[in-house]
Parts: sequence; structure tokens; C-alpha cells
Amino acid sequence: MEERSGLSPDGQLPSRMLQLPPRPPSLAMKRSFPRLVSPGNEGVTLSTTRGNGVDYLAELPLRRVVSNSSMKSSKSSKQGNKPHIQLIHAPIPRRHLLNSSASHHWLHTPPLSPTSSRGTSPVSTTSAVQSSPRRPVHKSFSSLLEHEQQFPRRRRSSVGPGGGVVGFNEPSTPTGTSFRHDGGVLVSEKTAQEKNGVDTAMGRKWVRWMHKKGIKEWTVPSAIAFATLVKLCISLGSYSGKSTPPMYGDYEAQRHWMELTLHLPFRQWYTYDLQYWGLDYPPLTAYVSWICGIVASWINPSWVALDASRGIETEASKVFMRMTVLAWDLVVYIPALLFFAHSWQGTRSNRTQIMALLILLLQPALLLIDFGHFQYNSVMLGFTLLAINFFTTGKDLWGAVCFVLSLGFKQMALYYAPAIGSYLLAKCIYLGPRDGGKLFLRLAMVTIATFTLLFIPFLPPFAPLSAILDPITRIFPFARGLFEDKVANFWCASNVVIKWKAWASSGVLIKVSTILTALGFLPAVFGLLRAGIKFMSSNPTEPRPAHPPFLPLLPYAMLTSSMSFFLFSFQVHEKTILLPLMPMTLLLSGASSESSMFAWGALVNNVAVFSMWPLLKRDGLGIQYIAALLLWNRLIGYNPLKIPRQSFIHLLSFAVYIAIAMLHILEVLISPPARYPDLFPVLNVLVSTPVFVLTWLWSIKCGVEVSWALGGPGPGSAATSKATAAEQIQRRMSDSNGSTVMPGAGAEGVVVGQGYRQLGMRAMSLGYAQSRRRPQFTQRGSSVGLGEVERETSDS
Amino acid sequence: MDVKPESPSHAKEHNDIQQTDVTAVEDHLNSNSTLKSRKWFDWDVEGSEWDILVISTALKLLLFPSYRSTDFEVHRNWLAITYSLPISKWYYDTTSEWTLDYPPFFAYFEKVLSIPASFIDPKIVDLNNLNYDAWSVVAYQRFTVILTELVLGAALLRFTRGAVDPSTQRIISASLFLHPGFLIVDHIHFQYNGFMFGILLWSILMARNGNKLLSGILFAVLLNFKHIYMYLAPAYFIYLLRAFCLSPSGRLEIGNFLSLANAVIGVFIASLGPFLVMGQIPQLLSRLFPFTRGLNHAYWAPNFWALVTAVDRILLKYASWMGTSIAINESGVASSSRGLVGDTVFAVLPNVKPVHTFAITVSVQLVILTKLWFSPTYKSFVTALTLCGYASFLFGWHVHEKAVLLILVPLSLLAAERHAYFRTFVIASVAGVFSLFPLIFTPGESIVKVVYSALWITMVYIPLARRVYEFPTSLPLVVLDGLEKLYLGGFVVLLAFTTLFPVLSRQSSAAMEFLPLLATSVYCAIGLLWGFIRLVFVYLNEEASYQGQLSTL
Repeated sequence: MEERSGLSPDGQLPSRMLQLPPRPPSLAMKRSFPRLVSPGNEGVTLSTTRGNGVDYLAELPLRRVVSNSSMKSSKSSKQGNKPHIQLIHAPIPRRHLLNSSASHHWLHTPPLSPTSSRGTSPVSTTSAVQSSPRRPVHKSFSSLLEHEQQFPRRRRSSVGPGGGVVGFNEPSTPTGTSFRHDGGVLVSEKTAQEKNGVDTAMGRKWVRWMHKKGIKEWTVPSAIAFATLVKLCISLGSYSGKSTPPMYGDYEAQRHWMELTLHLPFRQWYTYDLQYWGLDYPPLTAYVSWICGIVASWINPSWVALDASRGIETEASKVFMRMTVLAWDLVVYIPALLFFAHSWQGTRSNRTQIMALLILLLQPALLLIDFGHFQYNSVMLGFTLLAINFFTTGKDLWGAVCFVLSLGFKQMALYYAPAIGSYLLAKCIYLGPRDGGKLFLRLAMVTIATFTLLFIPFLPPFAPLSAILDPITRIFPFARGLFEDKVANFWCASNVVIKWKAWASSGVLIKVSTILTALGFLPAVFGLLRAGIKFMSSNPTEPRPAHPPFLPLLPYAMLTSSMSFFLFSFQVHEKTILLPLMPMTLLLSGASSESSMFAWGALVNNVAVFSMWPLLKRDGLGIQYIAALLLWNRLIGYNPLKIPRQSFIHLLSFAVYIAIAMLHILEVLISPPARYPDLFPVLNVLVSTPVFVLTWLWSIKCGVEVSWALGGPGPGSAATSKATAAEQIQRRMSDSNGSTVMPGAGAEGVVVGQGYRQLGMRAMSLGYAQSRRRPQFTQRGSSVGLGEVERETSDS
Repeated sequence: MDVKPESPSHAKEHNDIQQTDVTAVEDHLNSNSTLKSRKWFDWDVEGSEWDILVISTALKLLLFPSYRSTDFEVHRNWLAITYSLPISKWYYDTTSEWTLDYPPFFAYFEKVLSIPASFIDPKIVDLNNLNYDAWSVVAYQRFTVILTELVLGAALLRFTRGAVDPSTQRIISASLFLHPGFLIVDHIHFQYNGFMFGILLWSILMARNGNKLLSGILFAVLLNFKHIYMYLAPAYFIYLLRAFCLSPSGRLEIGNFLSLANAVIGVFIASLGPFLVMGQIPQLLSRLFPFTRGLNHAYWAPNFWALVTAVDRILLKYASWMGTSIAINESGVASSSRGLVGDTVFAVLPNVKPVHTFAITVSVQLVILTKLWFSPTYKSFVTALTLCGYASFLFGWHVHEKAVLLILVPLSLLAAERHAYFRTFVIASVAGVFSLFPLIFTPGESIVKVVYSALWITMVYIPLARRVYEFPTSLPLVVLDGLEKLYLGGFVVLLAFTTLFPVLSRQSSAAMEFLPLLATSVYCAIGLLWGFIRLVFVYLNEEASYQGQLSTL
């Protein structure tokens, strides 16, 4: 109570304060939080300047009662029944905004309505004479969470024509900001920082702007339209193998496959003129090419005339080819992303979901490869993403079908197979012998059926059994050597020191690489299976949620597995980094910009694009490289040039970016010596590979941490382990929210380590808390963090 | 409703406050200045403004490899001319067909740009290296467009500082910086409009901030960059004469007048002086004003004459179908079948000569300027400026479609005034931007321009519409409102038609080849003409009774 009225603790009126007669409660009550304002508190507080002690009356009468108590309300139960409330009586300028604009102008005060959901009302002639009180703006919880938590928010101050400097504290005071309640005057010390704009995530600001302008429903369509625009603009540029006869590049390969599939019977697809871009992807790619070929020949047959169209590069045909990528992207990848935002990020606020969508939509590596270099990776990635989305909703069979489609589009999806396979296996174990066995059989049948359907033209009775060998040998080309070009993986990087090809024969190398790869993804497989056993249910009748509790492990497992394939397996292309990038970006998409998850995700994305620089440079995509990176980093609010904080990942990032910048500058300034024509690609590999190796190790570490968070370190009976899991999760969640989410906590703000916070956020964001543990939590219902979470979700 | 009358006891305190107000303000200023001094340099650009810059720069970078018109080679040739020839030969050189035909300041500007160009790639400034299109020259010239457009960005930034309603002004500023007109004309087609409209906006900003002298000087500078801005000159002339050179009572402010006159003469001497000394003014003028062109440009700019020409074509069809005895000008028939190139000769209607277009333009402008003379406020000035450009665009001789930017840019400043202005802005912007579409005809870029423009109008329309919406108050207004919406919706149909027509009518003859262009031109002309009538009506009638935001300035 003392704090509310701004009295000093001993109950005396400070000399600079003036108590004015109470006014009828009705007016102020309507505008404030009714339960927080007692009638006795309706007095008028006069603001004073701190420095010279000169009093000046702000405005009479007071119309605004703003408190930062809204955030505290959930906390009050924790502190007993004495609410910890700071209530600030703040006057408002009496005249309409428009009349006082002149003073705003030369005082450089911020505009009066930065938080209003609408602009100021249109001016009418009456508003010039009549004062129009502005309502205090009560923000929704989600908006508070998202805007206030990390940034010291702007104190809105304005100079009323007859009044003094008036500060409005917004309903929340974030931890660590510098609002001091100093004799009735609020002093903001961090104005300079505010001005510098701590919040640099363009995407987030844009989403907020859209919400504020009341065009929420346009946000997602606009985001997709904008991403499409960027893709179209990148498509205007060069592509792989442009104007380089006789073989051209990937663009010509894809176009050639359209021509091939359109004109030849199935049997010849994998055998026709293999020297000229013979088909070496699984059948779904061939079918997709076939459909594109049909459309192309419908528009203009010369684009896909057999043999005659080789190397065709007319304007219209190029546009058509680009449009096919865009079309498949819109058909498969975009829906998968939308589904992801609503399933995996389903517990987050609407704005966070859109932000996640934006981060994924404009992921620079994929944009540059698919729309610049020319490939259809988004289709493969889209199917895999659909698969894991289906897992969250419990539709494992559909998930399996999608993953087989992904495999059937590009065999590279095998990089995910250990993670996805062991997840499904773990789920079978988790469900117990009866249900699990049933699921296992069903999964096996569905998988086999889908594969059979995909390969049906190459199987009896449509073809002799030997025909199946054609696609298989084409898809798995073990004859092509350990690695091609310069790729930022273990083999190529260590090749600088150890000449592998001289050291051992191809057959030995294949075995070694296979063993290393298997060792690489083993932690992921082990983690998932162990979680499956740990959570195994003894009681088959117990109702179960749609997805098992160890689902949050899946993205980490996918990252571990795909990164291990990228680093250690045979015949890897630099473009293959897109596969580990997808789970990494999925994880990044929901991370708070303070977390180390965010730092890792951004670093890996940027380094991945950098690792493809030699390829992009060869393709003539230099300017696109710059533009895509610039746009995406600004979008997520990541500044590579920021001076690092003292944590490993930030220091690592800083060092890596310095190295990258040096390399780019060197490449511009000097040409490589004749002895080492590949100097710069090799240096590129030497910079990128350590980052990828560290990412792989980090993903293993995170996997272990998450499984600890899920089930505790030790093995135990199902019942105890579940209880432990619940407690652990709960603790982590409240911790994490304590530090990031709970503004207004003041000195009591809980500050916890990055790791815990992340874990909590991850586990929470990955849908775990929502569907499975929520009921337990709400019963206990005392945690502040959880209160926030619920509000946040309810907003979405 | 919530206003409480001040009780007498408070009156005294209130007075105290009035006194201490100054102290408070000083305090605030001091704290501001200390904050400022902490940083050694303050860009005064906020995060969201950097965002806009990053987005637009990224998109413009991506447009580097896009289609570019002959204007690209024109400007490259000017780089070569100004770099390799002495100033006395600039306006005489005919090595390339793209001779220098912009005023001297632009030539100086090209001279400045040519110096770094010669370091980057000496072949750029080689006079005989015609149609040079290596990556170096593309990247360099495109980059200079992005760089010089920062003038526009800076001007727009200053507009938001000290605006009456900063949040709305921010939307307007962003909409101008990201205007699809600039994207199409500057960053795909290739010109330096962003830079020059930046100067225009600086000039308007100076008028808003009360520095009319500088406003006049900047406009004189602008005229010496590109003479098409003469379309706007009458409004400047009247405004500066009435509001700067004459006192409100009508007395001549001799000091102001002389300073303005001297400054403007100084600017012109700086520009034309060297050529005056060399006696090349007639040659220069003949380059700037080639009076050998026809009424319509190759692609009809969507103005009044496009409508008249279309009516003539329809009447011709009608006459030949009915076999009536209307006197038909045979050369006009030939002109119509020749398509859209060259001089326009009407078949049925009486022919139009330059003097007619001039007379119509001036008489329309006179009406507007009379109004400006009697209410020389900032808002009235901006409206009159828009209308002057509008009248010249609609009724001028041989107008280019790109000149529509002269309307759209100043009109944008008025967009949030009230619903009447806003609706005019929307109609004119949609029609104007659509009329620029035929400039870009390559398939890849065509999709980009459509998607970009659609995104732009969404982002601009919805927030502003919510900001200024007013109900139509009477039945005619309701009908009008519906018709306007119908017209705007028609652009979707028009877009579908112009896109699909070439695909579907592949077999049909070349006679119909120009039909999409004609349809675009006529449909946009209807909207632009209607927008003009609307704006004139609003300007002449409602200004007195209605006080918008800019009226407070």
C-alpha cells in the first residue's frame, strides 16, 4: 500500500508530494485494474523533478492509473496475500496529441502511442478544444512476454503543455531495467540503450507491427508472399552450369530428367545415356520430373524435346524451370512449415509461431541452393518435416509414409533415417509389447507398401526382377570416391594432413567411413531407445497422449544423425549441409534470442552458407549470397559483429566470423598462388569443418541434457521415472521463465544459467508440456513460470 | 467526458507549473544532450528504419541481374561522354544514339560517378565501347542507384521527425522508400528517379519546416538535374511568391524576394554558366526539348489523350462498321493500324496540336494556382504541387508513363490527411503503378513486379485505411464508393487479361498484339483522370471547412 501511493515508508508525505482531495472512484476505477485500486488511493500524485526539486503539477485531474502489477498478479500467491504492487499515478497531457506535437518535435520525445493497437484517432475539429483522455493500454500477456522480457522498454514520456515531464510506466518493469521509483518520479537511465534498439529482430518487429495495426490475419499470407518474392528475386540470377556447354550443371540435369521421363518408358529411365546426366535420384524425383515435363511440353514442347533440347536456355524455359521449383516448394515445403509452426510450436504464442515460420521461410542456405543453384531440396526436406509433424500429432503411420516419400525423392534423407527409425522403434517399445507390437507391424507394412508403390514400375509384374538393380546402382554410387570437390567434412578437412586416397583403397575407406558414421549417430539412437525403455508403460490400459514424452529428443537426434553422416560418410556434397541445417533451424526457430541455442543456430546457418561459398561463387551467385545473408540475419536479429559475451559459443562465433571476414577480404585482394589453386576452398573447409564438428558434439550434449530433463539420470521403474520427469520439467520451466519471462520481478528475478533455461524452453516449446504434463501442473498450479506459459498459450 | 473542471484551489498551483515548465523543458533538453554526447556520432536512425533499409537493399541487390532497358546503356554512355570528353563537347557528341539530353547538373553528376567507374573498369567509360554489359558495369551502375537513393531515404527520415503524426508519417515514408514505382523504374528498368525525388522531397520538407528559401533553391537545383520537374514549377512559383516574397497583407518582402531571386539565379549560373560562356545554350536547349515527337508516347501514357485516342479508334471502328458518312482522315486510319508507334493522327476526331495541350494544361493549372494564391499554406502547397504535376501528366504533349511518379510521390504525402485524400491516393497509386507494369515485360521480372506491388499495397492500404476511414454519408457517395471499389477490383481482371492474352492468342494475328497495352493504358487512364477530378474537387471545396493534420503546420 505504501508503495502504491508513493509515500515514503514511514507514512509521511514527502515534501515534494502533494496529496490532493480524493476524487470519486468511479472514473479511475474503470480505467485501471479494479482489484488493485482501493478507493482511498485515488488521490493525485504530483510528479516532481528529481534534480532541482522544483515541483510542478502535472495535469489535473488525473485520469490514468498505471501499475506494473499485472505481471505480478500471478506471483502474488507466492508472496502470501500481500500483493507487491507499484502503482503509479500518472497524469496525462490534457490537450490532444496533435496540438502538442510541436513540443514533441523539438524535445525529441517519442510519439504518444507506441503501444496502442491503433493509431491515434482521426482528428476532428472538436479534438482541438476538448481534451481527449487516452486510455491506458493494457497489453495482452503474450505481447508483454514477447516485447518486454528481454528489452528495457521505452518509458513513454511526454510533455503536457501545462504540465511537466510525465512518465508512464508500462504495466511491467522488466528485471534489470532502471526504472526507479524515486519520490514519485520515474527516471529512465537506459534511454540511450533504448534508442540503440536492443530489439533488432526485424521479423519480430514486423509481426508486432502487423498485430498492432490490426492486420494480424494478413501476417502469415504476407510472410509467405514476401518469402516468395525473395525466392523470385533470387531466381532472377544465375544458376548452376549456366552457359557452360557441353555438360552445363544441376539445372540442366533437372531439365534433362524432365525430358527423359517424358519421352522414355520407365525401364529406360535409369539406363538412358548415363554419361549425360543420367538419373541418379530415387523414383519420386523421376515422377516429379515427369509431371513437370508434361506441363512443359503442354506449354512449349521444344523445352523438353528429347535430345534436341539439351542445353536449352531460352528466357521462357528458364522462367518455367524456376517456377517448377517454386511450385513444389509451395506445395510441399510451405505447408510443412505451417504445420510445423502449429504442431511443434503449438504451445507458443501466435507471434512466436509466425516468427518461427519467418526464420524457416527465409533460411538463406536453402534459398540459395534451391532458387539460386537450382535443386529441389525443399521437397525432400518438406516431406521429412511433414513426417515429424505427424509424429507430434500421433499419426505415426502418416509420418512413416511421408518419410518414405522423402527417401523416395532423394536418398540423402537417409541421413535422418537412424533418428526417425529409432524414434519409431522407441515408440513401439514405449507402448508396451501389445500396442507396440501392433504399431511395429503396421509401420513395417506401411513402409514396405509405400516403397513398393514408389518402385512399382521396376518390379514384377511390370518389369523383370533384375530391373530393380538399375535404380539401386544409380542411387548409391559407391564408385565415385570418398569425396568430391571440397566439402567441409571430416575426410576433406583431414585430407590436408593425411592423404586418405593414397593411404587406403576405396573399399577400406568405405568401411571406415561407414563405421565412423555409425559411431557418430549412435548416441542419438541410443538416447531415443533408452528413453523408450525408460518410459515403457506397464499398464496398457492407461490413456496416453498423442506423442510419447521423448519426442523433444527427436530434433536433436536428427541433427546428430544427419551431421554425423555429413561429416563422416562417403560421397558427400557441400550442398548436403542442408540436411543437418533443417533440424538446427527448427530448433533455432523457437529459441529466445538470448539463448545459446539461438547463437548456435545462427552460427551454423551462417557458416553453412559460407561453406557453400565456392559453389555459389562458381554459379555466379555472389550478390545473392550477400543479400540472403543480410536479410536473414537482420530478420532474426542476429548481429555477427557484436562483441561477444563471455560464453563459449559467443567467443567461438566471434572467432569464426573474423576468420570468414578475413578469408573474404583475402580472396578479393589476392589471387591464389599457382601451386595451390584451391587455396581458398581449402581454407574455407578448414574454417567450416570445426564448426560442424562442434555442432555435432553440441547436439549430442543437448540430447543427453534433454533426456536427463525428461527422465532423470538413473534408470528406474516407470512410475518413479515419470514423476521425476514431471518434476524436472516443471523445475526447469519455472526456472527458465523466471529469468526470461518474468518481468517486474525486480530483485527477486530468478537468474538461471543458459543451459537450464534452454532445456526448459525446448521441452516446453516442443509440445511436451502442453499435452502430457499440463494437467499435473495446473493441479499444483503454483509456479509463476507456468502461469505465464498458460497465458501465453491461451493467447495463441 | 472525463474532463473535470479545475477547482479554484488548483488554479494557483497551475500557474506555478506554467512557470516551472521552462525549467522542466530545459532539464529534458539537458538530459537529451547528455545522452547524445555519449555517442560520438548519432545517425538518428531507429532500428525499424534500418530494417526498411536492409529489406529494400537486399531486394535491390537481388535485382542486379534482372532485365534492364536501354536506359542502362544511355546512362553508361553518359558516363563515357562526361569522362572522356571535354565539357565543351558534351552536348555535341553523337557517337552513340543515346545523346546527353538531361540538364547540366545531371551531366556533372555523371561526371562524378564516372571517376570511380574508371578505376573499377576502364571499359565502362570508353566512349566507343557501346552496349557494354559486363558484370562490372552492371554492378557498378546498379550500385550507384542504390547509393544515391539514400538521399530519398534521408529526406523521408526527416519527414518522420517532427511530423504531426509520426506513426502515420512513418508508414507514408516507408511506403515511398519502398515504392514499387521506384523499384520498377529505377532498379529494374534503370534510372535515377529515387535520387531526384529525394531532392524534391527535401525541398518539400524545407517548405514544411518553414525554410522556404532553401526549398526554392533545392527545387532550382532539381530542375537542373532533370527538366521534367518543370511540371511542378508553377506551384512552386506561386507558393514562393505568395508565401515568401509577399507578406500576408500583400506587401512585397523585398529582402526575401531578392535573396530568393539571387539564389535561384546563382543555381542556374552554376548549372548553365559554362555553356553560356561557350555559347552552347541553343544546342543545349535543342537537346533538352526535342519538339519532334508525337502526342502519345509509343506506349500511351495513361492520360487524357490516351482516352481520346481510344475513343477515336472506337469511333473509327463504329464508322467503318456502320458505313456512315463521317469524314474520316485516311492518315488517321493508317496511324491506327500502325499500332502505337510514332505520331498520333486521329481518324475521326479533330487533330490535337501541341498548343492545344499547352492551353488545356495551363488553364487547369490556373484554377489550382488561384486557389493556392489565396491559401498559401503548406498543405495547400503540397496539394497544388500534386495537382500541377497531375494536370501536366494528364494533358501534356508526349508524356512518358514514368512521369506518373511526379503525381504519386507528392500525393503520398497527403495520403493520411483524410479519407477523401486517401481514396484518391489509392486509386492513383494502383492505376499509376499498374500503368508502369508494361515497362517490364520479361516473364521473370513480371512476376516480381506483380508480387512486390501487391505486397506493397497490402502493407500500405490496410493500416492507412484503418487510420482514416470515414463512412460514405449519402446515397451518391455510397454508390461512388462501390464504383471505386469495383474499379480497383477490376485491376485483378486486367492483370489476368494482360497476362493470359499473349498465351491464349498465340495464333491470332499481330493486329491484336497491342490490345493488352491499350487496355492497360485506357483502364489506368480512367482511374487517373477520376483521381484528378476527385482531388481537384476536394482541394477546391473542402479545404475551408475541413482541417486535416497537415493544416496545423
